[in-house]
Amino acid sequence: MLTFTRNKLVSVWRKDDDTLSAHGILEDDIYSLEIDVSLSLSQLEILSIAGKWNRAENSECRRAIPFLQEAVGFKMGEGFTQRVQKLIGRKSCRHLADMLLVCCYSARDTAQVIRWEAEKEKRPDLGLVEVLSEQRISSSGPIKDSQISSGKPLKRGAGDLPLSKKAMIRGEMIIDLHVHTSPASPCSSASVGELIEEAKRIGLDGICLTDHNYVWAAAEVERLREKHDFLILRGNEITTDQGDVLVFGLEKEIKGIIALKELRQEVLKAGGFMILAHPFRGFLTFGVGQLGLTVEKAMERPLFEFVDAVEILNSKVTEKENRFASEVAEGLNLQVTGGSDAHAVSGVGIYATRFSDRIDNEIDLIRALKKGNYVPVAFREGMKKRS
Amino acid sequence: MPEILSFSRNICTVVEQIRDDLMTSSCRLQDTLMDAYVKISVKIPDLEINGIEGKLERSFSGEKIDVEEAFNKIMGTRVGPGIRKIIRGFIGNSATEKQLAFMVEECCSGLILSFTKDQMKKIPKDPEKARHFFENLVRENPRLYKGCAALSPGSPLVDNIKFD
Repeated sequence: MLTFTRNKLVSVWRKDDDTLSAHGILEDDIYSLEIDVSLSLSQLEILSIAGKWNRAENSECRRAIPFLQEAVGFKMGEGFTQRVQKLIGRKSCRHLADMLLVCCYSARDTAQVIRWEAEKEKRPDLGLVEVLSEQRISSSGPIKDSQISSGKPLKRGAGDLPLSKKAMIRGEMIIDLHVHTSPASPCSSASVGELIEEAKRIGLDGICLTDHNYVWAAAEVERLREKHDFLILRGNEITTDQGDVLVFGLEKEIKGIIALKELRQEVLKAGGFMILAHPFRGFLTFGVGQLGLTVEKAMERPLFEFVDAVEILNSKVTEKENRFASEVAEGLNLQVTGGSDAHAVSGVGIYATRFSDRIDNEIDLIRALKKGNYVPVAFREGMKKRS
Repeated sequence: MPEILSFSRNICTVVEQIRDDLMTSSCRLQDTLMDAYVKISVKIPDLEINGIEGKLERSFSGEKIDVEEAFNKIMGTRVGPGIRKIIRGFIGNSATEKQLAFMVEECCSGLILSFTKDQMKKIPKDPEKARHFFENLVRENPRLYKGCAALSPGSPLVDNIKFD
């Protein structure tokens, strides 16, 4: 039985010598909307946008329409899709953003067809394939074959950071193992300096920089530590075919998406540690009952064989999803950690991990992670209760 | 200048419940330059892609794409947050491959929206009760807060919600 249908239709025509008009319609079981976009033919720059809802999920979806204007002036090119998805998708509506993108891509393809028709007048035997091939060759370099660039396992000394004064006089350490900084993580709004100062202010003993597929230079982290007099460690949140994984102790830079099995081999070679980040993010939005997902069934997922621990406190998922992750990890007898997954200053330390061992540097961190003497904690909540 | 169409694109996505433990989602894209079809099978409740097929009926780009090979890499991936990044990372960078990746994304979106549709049926007709419904939805799923204009500060749906 059909449970859902969605139709998108885009028509593009040439309004004048340098203007393309695109009219897009989206019709599905939940939404009905229309978008009109004009773009310059020569620059593929958005000149105007108008949007309209015919049917929507709720009465407030109409609030999304004015935000469409923020994309006026955007030029198609490197980073265009991400910009539209981030700005229009979040401030306005992701369905409007997606439809805007479909209109813009259709306009870009129209520009190719128009160029072909113009070229054909000069070279009547020219086929569209040749024009497209010429454009492809002239507009793009060789495709980067993603994955792993060269690197070496972490050696003692790399990122070997002295312990913060505060941590030295304590028997345990509380470290936020999962934070994102801007611009290393494009999705984050917090600079590394702001995050560190906030972490210090709320009383954390250290943070771990885990920007998406980004390896911080040990010297830069050392400079930050000295400047802020605070324990700063390096990690990396790597996107795999099975979801996001927090990796510690791997100096190799991973570009693009990597298979979890392949990543496991690299981390084992480097003597590092892997934590499955927010493993059930989005799993339970519709309720466990609706999809019939049980802890036992979730435990059967093969990805758990390729990690050392599971993040069971993450501030970007629901309490139910955290609880579910906790039950699955317990069933599989896997170590568990907590991290804020902060993308803004106010998020750092919401969750963290309390270590029984002293941690002076990245080598100590990996040793402590492997030893297993730690527990995830709701740090900010605890801070409120204490004050 | 006569307003004759220079380009037209149609994208149709259809989601089907095959069995209690299996759903399919297919996308057909037809435009001036290309005609392609993609279908994914998804295991319930894991939402794991356990089958994917596709066909490039017509393409003016001149590229020779091994659709099967491009798709094999995403077998076993779970449909959910982050899937876009995974699909784009695995299915090539050429114009045709990007379009195929977009179609896989459409299949995944359709699948998720089929569940959303079931949830939407539960929204009460009474406006005040509907407001409470969305308020509770956001409270239970904090990442929805500020995720779109309707669920951002200023909207009556989230008036009573304050997250740190």
